[in-house]
Amino acid sequence: MEWIEVTGRTVEAAKERALDELGVHESELEFELVDDARSGFLGRIGRTDARIRARIKPLSREKPADKRRRRRHEGKGEGGESSGGSRNRKPRPARSSGEKSPAAGAARAAARTPDSPDAPDGGAPSAPKPRSRSRSRSRRPAADRVQESTNEEQTMDTEVNLDEQEAVAVEFVQGLLDALGAGGSVRTSRTDDDGIALDIVGDGLGLLVGPKGATLAALEELTRAAVQHAAEGQRARLHVDVGGYRQRRREALAEFTRGVASEVLAAGEPRSLEPMSAADRKVVHDTVAEIDGLATVSEGEDARRHVVVRPV
Amino acid sequence: MSEHDETFDDDDEDFEDEVGGEGNRIVGGNAKAVVEHVTRAIAEEPDAVEVELVERRDEVALLVHADPTDMGRLIGKRGRVIQALRQVTRAAGAAEGIKVSVDVIE
Repeated sequence: MEWIEVTGRTVEAAKERALDELGVHESELEFELVDDARSGFLGRIGRTDARIRARIKPLSREKPADKRRRRRHEGKGEGGESSGGSRNRKPRPARSSGEKSPAAGAARAAARTPDSPDAPDGGAPSAPKPRSRSRSRSRRPAADRVQESTNEEQTMDTEVNLDEQEAVAVEFVQGLLDALGAGGSVRTSRTDDDGIALDIVGDGLGLLVGPKGATLAALEELTRAAVQHAAEGQRARLHVDVGGYRQRRREALAEFTRGVASEVLAAGEPRSLEPMSAADRKVVHDTVAEIDGLATVSEGEDARRHVVVRPV
Repeated sequence: MSEHDETFDDDDEDFEDEVGGEGNRIVGGNAKAVVEHVTRAIAEEPDAVEVELVERRDEVALLVHADPTDMGRLIGKRGRVIQALRQVTRAAGAAEGIKVSVDVIE
């Protein structure tokens, strides 16, 4: 996964810009500080922008969940209600080296050891470590998957577990549908980049889309929050759709973008599009990237952030 | 459920016992159920979450009581979670033809 370097008046602003360029949600961003913003002595000359390196979190990367781990260890230690299943679902791709802070690197290396190829399973003492906090709601992830992994406590907290996250997301959304008194069911699939896609299907679900998809966006935000809360370690990219609404919209936006692109090509003048969400801007960037002789750039801050298509 | 009664102290006749449930006969019942579901899914202490429904003149106010340690989680970075919750709850209210507000309080 490629790293990009961006600057901003503050780290927050730089992050915002990175999110934008990568077209991902905050939870999917990995970044490190290259240079903090300096205000100069007493705010005088010499101030510099914050500079960060950022990339989309690769899925295989363990996230050191140190704080949570600590809390769990000293706190509620009742039984291993559910431990991350399907530990070895897929081999971890090699990481690019020399790009992370020593501390993070070390933590990662430590977490990785138990399931690296030269350290096969077994051997690890196996008191199943309590992993999830006790929760009042029931978890669906099947218990049969859970057992296979109890002998690798080291990686417990950091395991990528798409199935578990998917189950949490589905349970959450289904519960929400019930609360709304709405019919409908949830279909799941995996995206090309190993993200989780949920599509809510049923009649009369326009309610869930809302004006300009605002309710759907909110629904996605909440689902993400629920999954982040319940799942340990690395989170998968999560997409929520209602009756293929977003899918259709993406296609329509790509189509619209191609129209704009040919106008820009014909006129030889840049054109600004209306402000859009990061995800939408990404669609525009990607669509234009396939067309020779044009380039895109995002301009404006926050809610005014929009794409400019220009000839090169 | 008696602690809910004060919510309806302008002598509502017959439904004080139903307030805590997810019954749909109550005005704002769906919206309340939505808020309960979402906040409990996100809170670290789901059992401490209590959603109070207050009927006001032209809207239903849903007040989320939660463990103080869950406040940040329920509000989210830059208020993202609470904003999203309001959006979805509004939709639930709209389906019932009512205006709904949501606030998180300790």
